[in-house]
Amino acid sequence: MAVALDEAAAAREWIEAANPSYPCVIDADHVVAERYGFINVPTAIWIDEDDRIVRPPDVTPVDDLFKDFTGIDSSVHHAQLGAWVREGVLPLALDEVAANQKVPSLDDHLARLHRRIGAWLHRSGRDAEAAPHFDRARALAPWDWAVQRGSMPLTGGDPFGQEFFDFAEAWAAAGSPGYSWGNAILRRERNEGS
Amino acid sequence: MTTLTILRGDGEATVAAGATERATIAVDDVAAATGWELRPEGLCRGAVCVPLRDRDAVVVDDRVDLARLGEALHLPVAIDTEAGVAALGDDPVQIAASLRDRRAADFTLPTVDATPFTFSSLGRKKQLLVAWASW
Repeated sequence: MAVALDEAAAAREWIEAANPSYPCVIDADHVVAERYGFINVPTAIWIDEDDRIVRPPDVTPVDDLFKDFTGIDSSVHHAQLGAWVREGVLPLALDEVAANQKVPSLDDHLARLHRRIGAWLHRSGRDAEAAPHFDRARALAPWDWAVQRGSMPLTGGDPFGQEFFDFAEAWAAAGSPGYSWGNAILRRERNEGS
Repeated sequence: MTTLTILRGDGEATVAAGATERATIAVDDVAAATGWELRPEGLCRGAVCVPLRDRDAVVVDDRVDLARLGEALHLPVAIDTEAGVAALGDDPVQIAASLRDRRAADFTLPTVDATPFTFSSLGRKKQLLVAWASW
């Protein structure tokens, strides 16, 4: 199923264009990010028949639109997914899944709460009151893309503009904090396969 | 009368605000606003009760102080009394324990047409959960 970390009004045109056969929900307040511990989209999580996470959340492009930027070939994930569904083969041992699961810090949680208040005030047109909450959220979770980039549409910013490129550059210079096994594994397999 | 809206991840409730500068909720409104009910044995949700070591700090004049409720339950809280809004988070320790056990958390969220959908209603089969956004 698909979870949009987005306002319904922003997600609607994409959902209608995709006309998905699977369920698609709106998570404007990032509840799923809070409960599964992830910080960016697109993120994939695999859950087995026993309600256990068997592939921890990490950034997983579903196509190659941003391949030059991410360095990730989506076919690797697709192949892994096929092997899991058809043969039950997992890309990570279960202890590695747990070891690679990010656990949100208290500041991560508080950042999300302030973002929630900011978004709620923004929806009521109270942007002046919302601003300090978005600022607080950004300060508490400086490398959480959903807090940083995901707040730009609500604060007059452009998530595809200079504000985003400045953030992405600073994040990369800081060593890509918050990204873990997924990128490393997908990149490694791509290099081995090339 | 001024109000206080309490945002929780899966819903919100608006109750009458208190007269003080602190965010407080009438005892009768606490369950609807926070999911926790004030009982003689403490703050309770379902069968779980958390005793209050310093009840007089949490409950003043038949009103529950939201910041102190958060402290007592170890729940993160963000409060803006001037704007009349607060956000109450889930228990970070429980979330961490659940993730370390690889347990998949359930959630109920609206579809784009505002129909609630519960993840667990898909039943026990392999699930691919993909989070995306227009940004």
